[in-house]
Amino acid sequence: MPEQRVVSPEFMFGEAPREEQFITGSEAVREAIKRANVDMAISYPITPQSESMHLVGDIFAEGYVKEYYRGENEFAVMSSVAGAAMGGVRVFTATGGPGTMRALEMFPTWVGARLPIVCAFFTRGINSPLTIQPDTIEMAHLLDTGMIMLHAEDAQDLYDMILKAFIIAEQTEVHIPVGVFADGFFVTHTRDKVRVAPVDIKLPPYLPYSAPVPVMDMENVPFRQMRDPFVMKSNYVSYAAHASWQQEVLAAAERARPFIHKYLGGLIEVENPDADILLVAGGTAVCQSREAMAAAREEGIEVGLIKVKSVRPFPGDEIRALTAKAKAVIVPEFNRVGWLSREIRNVVQNPDRIVAGPRVFGGMTMPPDLILAEIRRYARE
Amino acid sequence: MSKRMLKMTTAFADVMPAEYVELVESGPFGKGYGVADLGSFKELIEEHPLCAGCGLALAVRLIIASLPTPEDTVVVGSTGCSSLAFPQIALQNIHSLFGNQNAVASGLKRALKLRFPDKHKDVLVVAGDGATADIGLDMVMHSWFRGEKLATIMLDNEAYANTGGQESGMSPEGCVLNMAPTGKKFKKIALPEIARESGCAYVASVTPVQPRKLEKAVRRAILVAREVGPTYVQVFVPCPTNYKFKPQETLSRAKQKEKDLTYPLREFITPEAQAYLTAVEGGGKRD
Amino acid sequence: MTKYRVLAGPEGYLPPAAACVGITLPEVGGALIEGRHVPEQEALSAIVDKLLSAKRPFFFPGPNLLWEWKEGVAEKAAALRKLADTAGARVIPMPDYRPKYPMINPAIEINPNHPNLTIWHNKIDVCVFAGVHCHYANVALKIIRGGTDCYTIAICGEAGHEDANITLRNAGIPQIEALTAMVAERRRLS
Repeated sequence: MPEQRVVSPEFMFGEAPREEQFITGSEAVREAIKRANVDMAISYPITPQSESMHLVGDIFAEGYVKEYYRGENEFAVMSSVAGAAMGGVRVFTATGGPGTMRALEMFPTWVGARLPIVCAFFTRGINSPLTIQPDTIEMAHLLDTGMIMLHAEDAQDLYDMILKAFIIAEQTEVHIPVGVFADGFFVTHTRDKVRVAPVDIKLPPYLPYSAPVPVMDMENVPFRQMRDPFVMKSNYVSYAAHASWQQEVLAAAERARPFIHKYLGGLIEVENPDADILLVAGGTAVCQSREAMAAAREEGIEVGLIKVKSVRPFPGDEIRALTAKAKAVIVPEFNRVGWLSREIRNVVQNPDRIVAGPRVFGGMTMPPDLILAEIRRYARE
Repeated sequence: MSKRMLKMTTAFADVMPAEYVELVESGPFGKGYGVADLGSFKELIEEHPLCAGCGLALAVRLIIASLPTPEDTVVVGSTGCSSLAFPQIALQNIHSLFGNQNAVASGLKRALKLRFPDKHKDVLVVAGDGATADIGLDMVMHSWFRGEKLATIMLDNEAYANTGGQESGMSPEGCVLNMAPTGKKFKKIALPEIARESGCAYVASVTPVQPRKLEKAVRRAILVAREVGPTYVQVFVPCPTNYKFKPQETLSRAKQKEKDLTYPLREFITPEAQAYLTAVEGGGKRD
Repeated sequence: MTKYRVLAGPEGYLPPAAACVGITLPEVGGALIEGRHVPEQEALSAIVDKLLSAKRPFFFPGPNLLWEWKEGVAEKAAALRKLADTAGARVIPMPDYRPKYPMINPAIEINPNHPNLTIWHNKIDVCVFAGVHCHYANVALKIIRGGTDCYTIAICGEAGHEDANITLRNAGIPQIEALTAMVAERRRLS
């Protein structure tokens, strides 16, 4: 393992020279964690995330991560990660699909406990029936946990978002978990060109006493401190104490917005926004949308694209403004419930313009022709 | 705990509440006090809402007084009656969810080892019988299998007390409790024996009837967990509220069950743990 | 631009979190007055106005300034105490964040689970938070705005508090000493 020097996040994400590697999404996770100055990673097997955490284990053996072990189930792993974060170290873990569901109680717990954990989610279908194939339905179950949710389109996004997630999560006024989501197999198991920073640099370490809550190490005050006690209307505890706490964690996600702008360049990316027909998508649905856009252009139809990078906090104002004049807002998704189109419906004027689909779920890839068919339908009108 | 942490700032020392002034002047941090010193020092625990006659509350008080180095001890608890006492205790402690206390403690212990490699930071798990033997059993046992350097203490009131007295795996067979209207149909879980077989280097089963004996078990568990391996102490803490007896009968009930062996006291020590204890306890030193 | 103003309460059952209705934290070198972005100097002046016109001003130092747990704390605590004394404000500590049982003694302490008890008991009209962990300060500030008409000021060493009526950010000894000097000067002139 080379000697690594600490650099500022701005240098790592900006001026640092980049080298192109032809790697899988799982390998992109490895490359991000190598440079992320992570103290501890805890793993548990589930397809399609296992390979990512195998590789994190390998780089632990090389010295890039200080502590690593395999836990006994996802709920246990997410609990151990919480304990470690409360002890003041930077932690990373990953899961997906049924693993996410198994650990579900821990996610709002992490948020309420103000833990700046970064967790990668490699989305796959949820039982019953079982499928290991890609599906983003688990994101619907996490929308109201309070965690920040970033959606990677490809391995490059995955590499960048994991590194940036630590910096966003650890801001004192934010200090809640960040989930970095990528579609299983489509991203994790395919090779793509990923531009990575040199391996001899790493992010600054986590500073435990920059947390907005005490650290559980008996080296900071107050020492009469439980994280977190029953807070409810009883024994002269204010009826508002629990409510105020819940509002505060929602506020913490809002406070992430300027950092998402600073480090990710915005909660969305936009192409051709003045087109009459707009595609709004996240994850690999963006790739398929790009294909459909190119095909539509060849038929003389101009289509715009809004790529949603941050699902929580949601870019409501941006999407509302950008869709104001569109004739049709098409939302292709890799899940059956259409959680993204529901989010968009909540923020746009005249939501009848939303085309909630096409949707593909259970693991099929999305043929761009399905999207193109919707584009043609609305171009004709 | 650095000594600085116990020094009030001169600027605000005059407005600090009495409980903190007393902790600084006569608290146990850095003093090596034990159960024999109770009554002569400012204890870490303040007023809490547990019931009159609560065996668990007495045990918690004794456990806290038994800690070898309270100034460097972090407790991981679980939901249950004990989590209503721990916010009032002058130790940093984590209220895990329910059942995942040993998983949380595993992460915490390893994190503290990374951050303070040259210091003993004792991580102690304190949880009830429901949390330890039912909902948390797999995570408790896996922390033992992995050899996590944790001392696990079960406060065994033989029921889910905080939720109104439901049957737990540690309730005696035949006992009529909520959710067991015709009596519990299976035996009390023999968790000390399971602990012994699962990799624990020191296991003990005690009651608060003999405070010095409880103290010895707690201290041994914490010391052995520092260097040798995981440890487990099970404390019988009768619950007057849910077992419906008078608060003043708590200790006599525990004493009776000790005597008639319905709550048998036992201690298992591996040779490695014994060698370590012999070295640290020394000949003739205080227990 | 948002129309919400972070005014003294009482407001509703509990006011919304200011960050969720469009109020953003100040940039370094800036501050907030009732949700409006202002230069730090303007906020310092406004704080002095509030302290000097208050009938019963109180300072609430939190754990980070009550114990000498790291370098620099003793000096910052001394500077804050001097400010309080110069302004004629009393001091009630927030020694911890626990849901105290059976209840806090509102005459001598404040607690984020029920800060309004202390505000009501002592009839506090202006208060200053300092040295409190940001999460617990934010929990307390909304409850105060919900149930009392107390005006809240946050001398924050981190990013600031949108839920306070006036907040500084990255405030340290220089800002505290500047406030003390301004208070002393105004008193001298009056």
